[in-house]
Amino acid sequence: MTPLNDDELVRSFEDQLRRWSRRPPTIPGAVARVRILARLPRASRGVSWLRLAAAAALLFVLVVAAWRGAPRWAGETKAGLEVALAPSTGPDVVVWVLDNRTTVYFAMSRDGSARGGLS
Amino acid sequence: MALCSVDGTTEHLVRAALDGDREAFGSLVEAYWGRLVRLARSVVGDADAEDLVQEGLVVAWTRLAGLSDPLRFGPWVSRIVFRRCLRVSRRQRGRLSLEAVPEPSTASDPVVSLSAWQVLSRLAPRQRAVLHLTAIEEMTDTEIASVLGITPGSVRAHRRRARASVARVLGGGRS
Repeated sequence: MTPLNDDELVRSFEDQLRRWSRRPPTIPGAVARVRILARLPRASRGVSWLRLAAAAALLFVLVVAAWRGAPRWAGETKAGLEVALAPSTGPDVVVWVLDNRTTVYFAMSRDGSARGGLS
Repeated sequence: MALCSVDGTTEHLVRAALDGDREAFGSLVEAYWGRLVRLARSVVGDADAEDLVQEGLVVAWTRLAGLSDPLRFGPWVSRIVFRRCLRVSRRQRGRLSLEAVPEPSTASDPVVSLSAWQVLSRLAPRQRAVLHLTAIEEMTDTEIASVLGITPGSVRAHRRRARASVARVLGGGRS
């Protein structure tokens, strides 16, 4: 028998490859579909709702922690408010309430002189 | 379902899947499963092929937003599967070299005496894919290039080398 030349060998192999490749997969397409769908993550694109929820929860925790953890002194806010309201001020007076015992006010006048004081 | 041609139904399914419709994606899985498994078998052999295609399809779902043209779904998903196969076949390289390598045949018809995979396993993974996409899928060089992520010129070079290797293996090293 005459040996096959290279082209014939290749052609014959490609025929064999076609036959070999024609075998159906061991897992049918319908079964593969079920298996793959079961493995798909929830969101295919865009916003990941899981991440968004995690970020919102983290933000909430941070806000609560900041609110609860802020230093407070008894009566501070109320006293400060009272002091701030206490001085009777005119339209040319600026009042700075530094704390519940210290109020600085500036009174401005048109001729450049200024009165002020520390209470 | 050919890897490179898309009919109206497929296009509709791809668009629905892009909108997050899992069942539509399931229909695409079913439609492309057989061809993707055949491609994977030619690159990595029977043992790993179906697992790799399943993994590739899960990855495809997560990257679906990156598919700019629904008409290109076939080549796009084939490329994802091929890349996974390529990675695994690089790991297999050492393993394959230790397996029984076909002896030069003394039978009258060497093609019959060696299995297709025994011959394919002697080729580089890209050469296997090029032979598969040429002989089985009957794709053009441009289509093969888009699946493998190489140029049409490289496709021709891989095919030439693959056929030379096949002839050498089957001819018992006479060429």
